[in-house]
Amino acid sequence: MQITFWGVRGSYPVPGAATVRYGGQTSCVEARSSSGDCVIVDAGTGMRALGNKLLREAKAPQHHHVLLSHVHWDHIQGLPFFSPAYVPGTKISVYALLTAADELQQVIGGITRHEFFPVPLEAVPAHFEFHQVEPEVEFDIDGFHVVPIALNHPFGSVGYRIDCDGSSWAYVSDTAPFDQVLHKQHFLPGPEPLSADDRVALAAMREALVRRLDGVDTVIYDTHFLPDEFARFPHYGHSTPDQALEICALARVRRLVLYHHAPSHSDEQMDKIAAEYLAKGAAVGIEVLTSAEGMTLEVGPARPLAPAPTRPPAGSEIV
Amino acid sequence: MKIRFWGVRGSFAMSGRDFLRYGGNTTSVELVTKSGERLLIDLGTGATELAKTLMAGEFGKGHGTLPILLSHTHLDHIQGLPFFTPFFIKGNTIRILGANPMAGTSLEATLQQQLAPHYSPLNGLENLAAGVSIETITAGDKLQVPGFDVVTAPVPHGSMWTTAYRITADGKTVTYLSDVEYPTPDEPVDIALALAQDADLLIHDAMHADDDYEQRRGWGHSPARAGVVVAERAGAKKLALFHHSPDATDDMIDEVVARTAARTAVPIFAAAEGSYLDV
Repeated sequence: MQITFWGVRGSYPVPGAATVRYGGQTSCVEARSSSGDCVIVDAGTGMRALGNKLLREAKAPQHHHVLLSHVHWDHIQGLPFFSPAYVPGTKISVYALLTAADELQQVIGGITRHEFFPVPLEAVPAHFEFHQVEPEVEFDIDGFHVVPIALNHPFGSVGYRIDCDGSSWAYVSDTAPFDQVLHKQHFLPGPEPLSADDRVALAAMREALVRRLDGVDTVIYDTHFLPDEFARFPHYGHSTPDQALEICALARVRRLVLYHHAPSHSDEQMDKIAAEYLAKGAAVGIEVLTSAEGMTLEVGPARPLAPAPTRPPAGSEIV
Repeated sequence: MKIRFWGVRGSFAMSGRDFLRYGGNTTSVELVTKSGERLLIDLGTGATELAKTLMAGEFGKGHGTLPILLSHTHLDHIQGLPFFTPFFIKGNTIRILGANPMAGTSLEATLQQQLAPHYSPLNGLENLAAGVSIETITAGDKLQVPGFDVVTAPVPHGSMWTTAYRITADGKTVTYLSDVEYPTPDEPVDIALALAQDADLLIHDAMHADDDYEQRRGWGHSPARAGVVVAERAGAKKLALFHHSPDATDDMIDEVVARTAARTAVPIFAAAEGSYLDV
């Protein structure tokens, strides 16, 4: 399986001289199996260029699968500009963590309502299907086995472990570390005191994430903030590379890919971050890469001790 | 009066080396009078760049005042709103003025929808710390904005209307006609001509190269020559091609400018992100 980064930026697209090398478009990753099947994770602005490529390559209308981590603007804004959607016969299945698939349809429809975009969802030639995902409820798309994982981000977010061709990667964005309750709230003006129940719930969330990432080859992780930035905005729903490394070390991950770069981080800063965390990762036996737009990675095999991807052994949730 | 283009791109923000000279940010234009009054038109991603400058001054201390005129609420014109940092500082006073996006809704309801919890962790305009007023105008109104005389007019944009602006300060006039498509590029609507009459600078939608326009007729945008027709008939002194297509690289825009300039005596240039220009 191969993964290609079409957008690596968080929050909003950042054009200009400072983002030429790492890229300015927002979250979008393409996974491709050895047999050529494709699944897209997140529909940020990077999706426009991906759509143009898919359209150039396609000999006939395709069925595209789009897994959404959540529906904040930077993760869905590319959808109205995904050119295959305007080709009759195209099918687009959208998967997301929402209370119901019809709510998802309304939310996706909402981004193309008249006030925001000239072509409403009903008028788009592609046929859209909406699927609700639930953390821990596994499913298959073509040859891909997908495990949604609950994350800690305002209004909820979901990560995905994706296994295919014997290789395994995971998409963990957007998430804060697990010491503030963000996933239940829309908006948090600042850090809040935790109840005993909150602590238990957050610990369980973190444990489930580590368990699901166990033995995964490559993990793409929300590392929006540097530690000093995180100290100022701990309630914004994003992590630092150090926090990502901690989770990946516990899960015995081979490779961590830094992702969802802050809009304010210039290429020069990204070079420094990349070098610093390459060294920090090496110290704990993890290869740390920093994602850049256009980068393609070959995903390695899952470690043997990881739970079997298609049928987890009974009791594996206790591990 | 000075002008600075913070975002000149239409539809979609474009990053990368092909878009460095003209800039990839979506629409946002700042006007400043001699005595320092400031006005912003549209809140595309370009506004996030302006925000950094503003935050270094009085807006960072919560003493800033800014009127913002919206042409309409398509995403490329409001994309920067959730990231316009002066909104997060208590004490700043920011007015957002624009027309109702469509019958049966209000400007405020539409901007609330942009900040709805699904889409944005801000979860609503009420969570912006600054004093923010949303003022629904009727296109055609004259507006009271300190330091500026503002005349508005509705112009056709595909299946909807956008608000065009004629802004006068320090004895100079700028006309903003972005996101507009006329029945044909050679037949600009009278209201657009009136708004651009004798303007010192006409900023006009030039989303399409003239050759590409036929395939995109009805999409709500103009080819470069439409701006020329308006400038010539209205006697505008200078024309800025604006709202560049996301597919137009720097080299392609150079070519459009060269070809368009060869057909008219009106001085023209393609709007580019960069520095303050004297109107």
